[in-house]
Amino acid sequence: MAKYVIRRLVQAIPVLIGITIVTYSIMLAAPGGPASRFASNPRITNVQRVAFIKAWGLDQPVPIQYCRWLGLCNPDGEGLALLGPTGWPNFLPEGISGSTNGLLHGDFGYSIDSGEPVGPRIARAALPTLILAGFALTIWVTVAILIGVVAAVKRYSKFDSAATVFAYAGYAMPTFWLGIMLIYLFGAHLKVLPVSGMIDTRASPPFGSDAYWAYFGQTPVTALIDLGRHLILPVFTLVVVNIAGDSRFVRASMLESLSQDYVRTAKAKGLPGRVVTFKHALRNALLPVVTNVGLEIPFLFTGAIVTESIFSWPGVGRLYIDGIRNFDYTILMGILFVTAIVVVAANLLADILYAVIDPRIKY
Amino acid sequence: MKEDTHPSVVVPVSPVTGSADPITGSADIARRAEEAGADYEVTLKSLTQWELAWRKFRNHRLALLGLGILAVLTLAALIGPILMPFDFASIPQPDVYVNNGRSPSIAHPFGETGGLQRDVLMLVLNGARTSLFIGFSSMLIGVGLGTVVGSLAGYLGGFIDNILMRVVDVMLSLPLLFVILVAARFFANVKDNVWTIVLIFGLFSWMGVSRLVRGLFLSIREREFVEAARAVGVRDRRIIFRHILPNALSPILVAATLIVAGNIIGEAFVSFLGYGVNPVNPTWGNILTNALAFIPNGNWWWPLFPGLAIILTVLAVNFVGDGLRDAFDPRTRA
Repeated sequence: MAKYVIRRLVQAIPVLIGITIVTYSIMLAAPGGPASRFASNPRITNVQRVAFIKAWGLDQPVPIQYCRWLGLCNPDGEGLALLGPTGWPNFLPEGISGSTNGLLHGDFGYSIDSGEPVGPRIARAALPTLILAGFALTIWVTVAILIGVVAAVKRYSKFDSAATVFAYAGYAMPTFWLGIMLIYLFGAHLKVLPVSGMIDTRASPPFGSDAYWAYFGQTPVTALIDLGRHLILPVFTLVVVNIAGDSRFVRASMLESLSQDYVRTAKAKGLPGRVVTFKHALRNALLPVVTNVGLEIPFLFTGAIVTESIFSWPGVGRLYIDGIRNFDYTILMGILFVTAIVVVAANLLADILYAVIDPRIKY
Repeated sequence: MKEDTHPSVVVPVSPVTGSADPITGSADIARRAEEAGADYEVTLKSLTQWELAWRKFRNHRLALLGLGILAVLTLAALIGPILMPFDFASIPQPDVYVNNGRSPSIAHPFGETGGLQRDVLMLVLNGARTSLFIGFSSMLIGVGLGTVVGSLAGYLGGFIDNILMRVVDVMLSLPLLFVILVAARFFANVKDNVWTIVLIFGLFSWMGVSRLVRGLFLSIREREFVEAARAVGVRDRRIIFRHILPNALSPILVAATLIVAGNIIGEAFVSFLGYGVNPVNPTWGNILTNALAFIPNGNWWWPLFPGLAIILTVLAVNFVGDGLRDAFDPRTRA
C-alpha cells in the first residue's frame, strides 16, 4: 500500500510539471496581456507602460518567464540566469542560493493586478469557497444518497419517476439561469433573502478582515445568522444543479447491488426487508459512491465559478475568473497549480479509500 | 394483420446469426403452424439492425417525445427568424431607452426586454437558430474528429496509438474552461463570431469520442467477421468503413447526443463569462446574459424564456440519447 502511494505520488510529479508548462504557454500565447489595461487610459504614458512590463519581467521570452516562475532562474539576472546571487544554482534553498523566488522556494509570486502575494490572496479566497462548497457538497451528497436509495428500492414507483424528472431537469439547467431566476425572485420580488455577498455590509465589517473576526467574537449568533442567510441561495443553486448526477449514480449502484446473489440469499433466508436493504444492499452500493464523492473533493477548493460570480461570493472561483479577465498570470498559475495538486491528491485519496472500505481491492 | 384476409405473422429474425430467433424459436412457430394446418401463413422477415433499433426506439415514449420536441424546435429555428427577423442595427423605438421591459401580453407573448425593448419571443426564435446551430455543428466537428483519431489509434495501434492517446490525455488534463476562454481571446476582435464558438467547442469535445471509438475498434477488430474479411483480402480502408465503423456507430451516436447537450449549455456558460457569441447574433446564452444587467427591475420574463428553451432542448436531446442507447442495446428487446 505504502509502495503504491509513493509510486502514485512520484508519477504525479511529471504530470504536474507538464500541466504547468502547457497552461503557462497557452496563457502567455493569448493576445493582450497585463499591460493591455493601460491601452484605454490616456494618463499612462508609454514610458510608464514599458516600465510596468519590464518590472514584471513580461518582456522576457516565455521559457524564461516560466523558468523564473518555477524558481530555476534568477529574476535579477540577465536572460537564462540559472545561478542565484551566491553563485549556487538558483533553485536551491535560500540559505545556499540566496534566492527566494519561484515555486521551488514555495513562492507563487505577486498578483500582477493587486500586487498582493499570491499565496495569501488565494488563502483569503479559499475560506469562503470552503464554506460555500462544503455546505453544498454535504447537502447534495446526503440528499442524493437518500433519493437514489429510495428510488432504487421503489423502482418504477411515483417517487422514482419524480426523482428521474427532477434529475433530468437539474442536469439540463444552466447553473447561472437558476441563479438569475432566484435573484429575480428573491432580490426583486420577495426581498426576504440577500442575493449577493457573504455578509450584510451595513452591519458587519468585510468577511475575513480582522475587524470581522472581532465582530464575530462579540456577536457570534448574529454573525452566523447573517452568514447563513447569505448562504441559502448559492447553496440551493449548487445543490439543485449537482444533485442530479449523484442521485442517478446512487440509484444505478443501488439497483445493481439489489440484484446481486447475496441480496437474494439474504431475502431467501427470511431477513426483514429493511435489514436486507440497508445492511446488505446499501453498504455495498455505497462503495462506488465513496469513490465518486472522493473525486468531487477538489470542488471544496476550486469552488463554483458561475455560482460564486452570480452571487458575488468572494471565493476562489471568482478570483479565477477575475484573473482571466485581468490577465493576472501569477494568480491564475497559483490557482491552477494548487488545483492540480488537489485533484491529484483527491484521486489518490479516492483510490485509497476504496481499498480501505472494500477488502477485495488490493494494490 | 387486420386488413389482410390472409393473416400473416411477421417474426423477427436475428440479423447476426441469420437464422430465426433462437429464444422465441420463430422457426418452431412456422413449423408448428404448418403442422397444425393453420389457415394463416407465416412469413419470416429478416430485420436489419436499424429496423430492430427503430422498433425499440419507437417504444421508448420519452425518446419519441424528445424527437418531437427537437423537430418543433428545429422548425421554429428555421421558420421563426423569417417571420420575426432580428436586425441588430434597427432599434424598435429609437428615442426610448426604457429601464423596464413590458410583461407578456397578447401582442408580445414572451414580453419585451428592458433597454432596447426587443420582443423576447423574437429573440428566443432567433437565438434558437444560432444556439442549435452551435450545438449541432460543434458536435459534428467533435464527433468527426474524435472518430478519425479514435479509428486511427484503435486500428493502427502501436506507436501512432501511443502518440494520439497521449495527446488526448494532455487535452483532457487541461482546465477546459481556461483553454476555452483563452481561445476565445484569440478571436476577441471577430465581430461575427458564431463560427469561432463552433470551432472552439468542436475542437474541445472530441477527446471523449476518440477514446470511445478507440476502445470499440480494439474490440471489434478482433472479432471473427473482421478476421474473415481480412482473410479474403479486403483492404484496410474497406474493413474500417464497411466492417468496423457500422458496428461502432451506436455508442458514437449516444455520445453525440451528450455532446450536443453539453455544448448548448457550454455556449450559455461561456456567454455568461463574457466570451460568447456577440449580440449581433442572439443566442439563448447571450440573451440570458444581457438580462443580468436588468435584474433589479424584476423583468422575470426576459431570462425565463431563453432559459426554458435551453432546458427543453437539453432534456429532449438527452431523452433521444437514452432512447438510442436502449434501442441499440442487444440486451433489451423490442
